Amino acid sequence: MSGLNILPLPTFARLGVNFVERDAAFETEKISVPAGTERQIIQFVETDSETSVTIAENAKLKLVQVFTGRCASVLKTAVADNAQFGLIQLYLGGDTVSEIITGLNGYKAAFAASIGYDLGAVGALDLNLVVNHYGRKSTSEITANGVLRGNAQKTFKGTIDFKNGASGSKGSEKEDVILLDESVVNKTVPVILCAEEDVEGSHGATIGRIDEKHIYYMRSRGIPEDKIYEMITCARLARLIGRIGDEEAKKRIYSILGWGDEDE
Amino acid sequence: MKEKTQVADVDRAFYDFRYDEDEKNFLDSGITPDIIREISAEKGDPEWMTEFRLHSLDVYSRLKMPQWGPDISGLDMDRIVAYLRPQKRMQSDWNSVPDDIRETFEKLGIPQAERESLAGVGAQYDSELVYHNVRKEVAESGVVYTDLESAMHDEHYAELIKTHFMKLVPPTDHKFAALHGAVWSGGSFVYVPAGVRLDIPLQSYFRLNARGAGQFEHTLIIVEENAYLHFIEGCSAPKYYEASLHAGCVELYVGKNSTLRYSTIENWSKNMYNLNTKRATVAEGGKVEWVSGSFGSHVSYLYPMSILNGRGARAEFTGITFAGEGQNLDTGAKIVHNAPETSSYMNTRSISKSGGISTFRSSVVVNENAVGSKSAVSCESLMLDSISRSDTIPAMVIKTDKADVGHEARIGRISDEAVFYLMSRGLDENSAKALIVSGFAENVSKELPLEYAAEMNNLINIEMKGSIG
Repeated sequence: MSGLNILPLPTFARLGVNFVERDAAFETEKISVPAGTERQIIQFVETDSETSVTIAENAKLKLVQVFTGRCASVLKTAVADNAQFGLIQLYLGGDTVSEIITGLNGYKAAFAASIGYDLGAVGALDLNLVVNHYGRKSTSEITANGVLRGNAQKTFKGTIDFKNGASGSKGSEKEDVILLDESVVNKTVPVILCAEEDVEGSHGATIGRIDEKHIYYMRSRGIPEDKIYEMITCARLARLIGRIGDEEAKKRIYSILGWGDEDE
Repeated sequence: MKEKTQVADVDRAFYDFRYDEDEKNFLDSGITPDIIREISAEKGDPEWMTEFRLHSLDVYSRLKMPQWGPDISGLDMDRIVAYLRPQKRMQSDWNSVPDDIRETFEKLGIPQAERESLAGVGAQYDSELVYHNVRKEVAESGVVYTDLESAMHDEHYAELIKTHFMKLVPPTDHKFAALHGAVWSGGSFVYVPAGVRLDIPLQSYFRLNARGAGQFEHTLIIVEENAYLHFIEGCSAPKYYEASLHAGCVELYVGKNSTLRYSTIENWSKNMYNLNTKRATVAEGGKVEWVSGSFGSHVSYLYPMSILNGRGARAEFTGITFAGEGQNLDTGAKIVHNAPETSSYMNTRSISKSGGISTFRSSVVVNENAVGSKSAVSCESLMLDSISRSDTIPAMVIKTDKADVGHEARIGRISDEAVFYLMSRGLDENSAKALIVSGFAENVSKELPLEYAAEMNNLINIEMKGSIG
């Protein structure tokens, strides 16, 4: 067994969030985006994989990753001057350990991550996202939205690390989790590390139930309660899926989710 | 050329005086079974306590140093003197306290505070309490405020001590809890009977004067049903070049529908390793309020913990940490929701400057049975230069779907927009920045009695200088 998903600065050991014990046999892949170019890549991740990405100056990459089964994944990305990295990740069940390490190495390097998960039955997810701000005026924006059901267990560790010299940088992180069954376990650890004065960092998290006002409103419109939960879950994922440009990929995701075309 | 705005380090000169110690009062340094037996004999422990100390030592020798948090490799336990014999037994009249010790506490303003604004005072100097007194009317209400050793030998409280001592913080909790269990000495015992509201605070002040020593006081407070207590804890030490160690322990039992406010202004010297453990259990409808200012020490590990065991129990933590040159202050709070409809609120500020490291570390655990519970955590950090560090590591573990937990944190520097706004109202740049930094600390100062808020502001001692251009 080896340790994966190591929290950059460990915390109270009893919380069980500092690392994950997991054996993995990684298949490696390298992706390069040349200077000044734009790429979109869609991956359905079903086996242990390690992906190394290099985004050169003024280049853009939109990477979509969809996780559907038991696997461990490592995604390491280096982002150069004025380059942009957009990441969309969907976790749709299974037992997944996922690590995302992004180095904003260049001036005005930018990273935007949108993460969605729907963990039903006995799904498990341990997600460790680390953004290292090295470049001046680099920016990061991380949003994670998800739903836990059944006996699902999820750990989300999100770290924004402002290194000395990353002046003018900004980073924000937000997670919104809805818990739908009494046996779920949610762990959220939003971390900001800061060795630079001239930065702005923020993180926020809301964990719990669907706002009673929303439920009241929808029930007053004649929608049964169990349907309300289903609708809100679908809406959260649909918003993210809608940002995937590729129609074939969207259909495949709908199929995995058991949604018909009408859910589009 | 633009001069950087300067915010001064905490001015500790006020606390940095000392008196020579008679070395014949020192027990040998190090932590061994013989030393533990010697401490126990010196203090006249009952047999169960001697056994407890030796058991704790055994646990201590088996546990590892913490694998997270600031580096404490500079702490050589073989060089720490765990116990110093007192010059004189505890007194209830300042005139009977040895001159140098009385002068120490007079310089710190403790007798004056007792006369003006406190219901009772305990003063510890090195290993033992030297003074303890409580107002007559307070004692007549049934409130007990004395040193833990006296209470342990009092037939009315001996059993109470035995059933509560280190039950909330067992020696197995961590290595320094075990150390505390082995060598503890001094500290206060407070008992507030049911229905008694103590509207003016009690205060214990802990002063570590000796070089290369440890202080291991134990504070045990039991507040029965429908009662109220505000307890204030202060601590300081003069600076030496050798490492000193503070590994105190605070255990608070808050009864049904009662409130306990526990305020601390900590200003240990910069050679101090402050590895303190504080914990409260709160019964149905009860509330614990922590107000914490951390300004001193070389290294701190400090996370007051609230265990909400009764339906509707509440916890509030309000804290500020100021880490200057040579300081690595790892502070925060822990909350466990262990009953339905409990609620908690954490509100903290931290300031880092001159190479200081400030870390906010917290945990909120909502257990399966804590249905209908709510928790909110808010932390803000201010970086005053780029040679310092400020880290924020909150963790939330939620094991029920019927809870609402929120968290928000921000980190940054003094806002140019805020400075501009204040300057547009007629303040110069330095005054504007000073005002912003003072306001940043207001979450704690407004929660303290006036005298202590003034002391805290004195501690921060903000000085602004600089010019535009």
